Formats: sequence, C-alpha cells, structure tokens
Amino acid sequence: MKTTALHDVHIEMGAKMTEFAGFHMPLWYKGIVEEHMAVRKSVGVFDVSHMGDILVEGKDATEYLSYILPSDFSKIEVGKATYTAFINHRGILIDDTIVTKLGEDRYLVVPNAATTDLIYHWMFSLSGGYDLSLQNISSEFSSIAVQGPNAEKVLQEIVEEDLSKLGFFHAANVTLKGIKIKENILSGDKAYLSRTGYTGEDGFEFVVPNENIVELWKKVLEVGEKYGIEPCGLGARDTLRLEKGFLLSGQDFHPHEEPRTPLEAGISWVIDWDHEFLSKDVLLKIKEEKKYELFRGIILKERGIPRHGFLIYKDGEKIGHITSGTMSPVLKVGIGLGYVKRPYIKVGTEVLVEIRGRKVKAEISKPRMVK
Amino acid sequence: MRMIPEDLKYTKTHEWVKVEGNKVRMGITYHAQEQLHDIVYVELPEVDTEVSKGDTLGVIESVKAASDFYAPVSGKVVAVNNEVADQPELLNQDPYKNWLVEIEMSNPDELNELLSPEEYKKLLEEES
Repeated sequence: MKTTALHDVHIEMGAKMTEFAGFHMPLWYKGIVEEHMAVRKSVGVFDVSHMGDILVEGKDATEYLSYILPSDFSKIEVGKATYTAFINHRGILIDDTIVTKLGEDRYLVVPNAATTDLIYHWMFSLSGGYDLSLQNISSEFSSIAVQGPNAEKVLQEIVEEDLSKLGFFHAANVTLKGIKIKENILSGDKAYLSRTGYTGEDGFEFVVPNENIVELWKKVLEVGEKYGIEPCGLGARDTLRLEKGFLLSGQDFHPHEEPRTPLEAGISWVIDWDHEFLSKDVLLKIKEEKKYELFRGIILKERGIPRHGFLIYKDGEKIGHITSGTMSPVLKVGIGLGYVKRPYIKVGTEVLVEIRGRKVKAEISKPRMVK
Repeated sequence: MRMIPEDLKYTKTHEWVKVEGNKVRMGITYHAQEQLHDIVYVELPEVDTEVSKGDTLGVIESVKAASDFYAPVSGKVVAVNNEVADQPELLNQDPYKNWLVEIEMSNPDELNELLSPEEYKKLLEEES
C-alpha cells in the first residue's frame, strides 16, 4: 500500500487508518462527527497528499487544455483555479479536477488519487502535435487542506502575505513564517497555496515538497489550537462533501461502473460551449434531447441511511439509485446523492428509498443539502 | 478486563450474550462499538421472528458504514430494546447496559459454542 509523507505522523497521533485509492490514510482521529462539526463551525486540517499533481508547461498548454477539457483557459486569468472535468470521446466523465493557471503557459492539474496515473496517460495520449511537456510530480509533493470559517485566521499566523487578498478559487506562492521551503519545480522556494477545498466551507490547500509537510502540518495544528482545530480524516472529508453535493470521482461517476456525462452529474456549468473541445458534439446532442437523468440530493423523512447502490422508487416504479449516502451530522437525518429520472428531478418530489427491503420516505433535493 | 465483563459470553463476531434461564440477552461488545465509532442507526428485528444461530439479526450503522449483527443462538426473538433504536449513541456510551435483542433459546446446547471472556480476550489480541 502507498503512504503519504505524513503517514507516520498519523499513526503517532492515533488515527484510525483505512485504505483509500491504494493509500493508507486516516479515516478519523477523534470521530467523524466531531471532525465534521469542527470544520463547519471553526477549522480542521486534512492530509490530501494522495491527490495527484500534474504540471503542464509549454507554448501550446492553453490550447491543449482547452481542447481536452470543456473549459476555455484562454479566457481564464493567471492565478485562477478552475473546477473542471476530464471526459472521454463519448462525453463520459473520467475524473473531476482542479486546474490552476500558474502562468500564461503553465498549469497545475490536480486529479483524484485513484485516477492520477490514468489521467496522466490520458493527457499524454492526447498531447501529440502540441508543443508542451507533462510532468507527474505527485510523488514529490504533499498537500494539506485547512478548511472552515476560521481557516484564514489560522493560516494568516503562518503566511507572510495578506490572505484576505487571496480570492476564492485563486492561488499564489507564499512565504511561510519559520518554515524554509525546499527549492522546487512548482513554486520555487515558496509554498503553493490555493483558496480551494472539498468541504463547502472557506478554506485553503497547500502543495509543498514532501520534505516540508511534517513541519507545516505540525505548525498548522499548533497555531490552530486556540481555534479548536481538529486533524480530520477521510470520513469527515466524505460527509462534508456529501452534505454540499460535491461529486466523488469513482463513486458518483465512473467511466465503467457509473458512466455519466457532466450534464447528468449536474456540473454542466463547467462546460464553456463557446469553444471547441473533445466530445462537444456528443454532449451538445445529449443537451438538446434533454432526456438524461440528473444528479440529485435525497433527504430521508424517516429513520434510515441511504447507501451506494440503494434504489429509489416512485409509485412502484424504479426511478433512480443512490451513489453516495450517510447520516448528515448537520441535518441529523439520512442523506444521499444519486441519479433520478425525469420528471422526478423536481425539488420536493416525494419518493421512496429501498433500504434492505424496507421502503423509506424521502424527498428530492438539490445536491447541495446543507446551505 | 474492564471492557470484557466476566459474567458474559461472547461471539467471534463481537456480540455479547447474557444467559437468563431459557432466554439470552445480546448486544455488541465494547470493541465492536469502538471499531464502528459514531453509531447513528440501529435496525432491530421484529418480535416473534424465528432465528437460527448465525442469522443476521439486525444492522448497526456508523456514519461511514453499515454492519450486520448476528444471532448468537437459535430461537425466537421475544423482546427488542427500542431505546437504542431511538438513541443509537447509547451503544457508544455503554454497550453492555444497552442490550439489543432478547432471544428464547430453542437449543441451549449452543451456549457451549460461545466464547468465554478469556477466549474473547485472546481473539481480540489475535485480531489487533
């Protein structure tokens, strides 16, 4: 099993560990609910080093990425991070990702852990004829996410630059107080910091050389102490994103097991239709037909927890299925995400979820179930 | 031995069993609730259900996952503890006080197949 540079620290700190995407990662430290609420109310820190890091550089980088992804990077300013998705020739999602424009001809692509090698090969296979270089730097860099309403206050004690000036989904190379960052290919002798995350709260993500991550992790926990910072595991990461309706690659969509277009997955907003990109024709046709199922939130009205694979019914007919589910720590009811047929996608539609043979009352919601 | 009371019997699937005449009360062990953590949902069987040793009796769900619990002996379900269905966190607070199901045994000889506190302790050591 693969490990991150923080692995021994997690063990020392008593984390309950699990396997995820081939990595031995913390599932929780004190408990999923406690960590979840720390992030919603104050601040938490996550090891997200399992996520990939691919550098794209060269004079054709903008043109290339704007073709292989549905976003048009020629319209995007330097320093901006963009949530987007890899789609195949049939318009099916392979992975969702954040692409940051580091310079006019320079980008950082962050795929999911389980898909990083696949995405790297996919990008390579589509790079013929373009003047650019691709580098998978995932194994040399580590990442932590500091998330929650107090994330800025915590990090401002470590970062020299004024963080109130770093906008949502923007990135910068920053100087850290008391931590000397090893000279590196991504951000020179500084730390790469973006105002991004997967929790639906304000928050930041660092990418730094492996050699610096233990010191940074400890420093964040130390200065965050007065805000009640909690180290958080993948359990809270999952429940936090679920309440906000964020997709989990490989679970809410998967090229083979759950083949979905970005239209079905509810992220059609990542598509810039005013430019040419891979599979545009296929997606345009699907968009115009408007027959596709849609990604929805499902909130239970009775006791129970929807889980991956459970079926959704209306008037005795199967109308969809759950792809992710949990007990919502904020709403304190079972919630799920999944795909629902038209015309049952309307918010407030009463449905039934089958839980181990029992039909439980539920209601269709927007994917974002917690405001 | 605080976590493995001496007056109970145990299963390999981390249930505890308390014998009271021809009936048993069962629940999940301290170790089981510790592993599950954050228990948020409990599904109990219907009273009068006939069960065989090893059958799924119900489901306990943590935030992260659902886990079945099993009948430690064969017989008929004569009572269930609805208090834990209403307040699943009771299982985290005191898994030995908060029982789940009471079964009237059809074959009391099966009790001999259950683990003693000493044997259960050994099992936990092997699993860790």
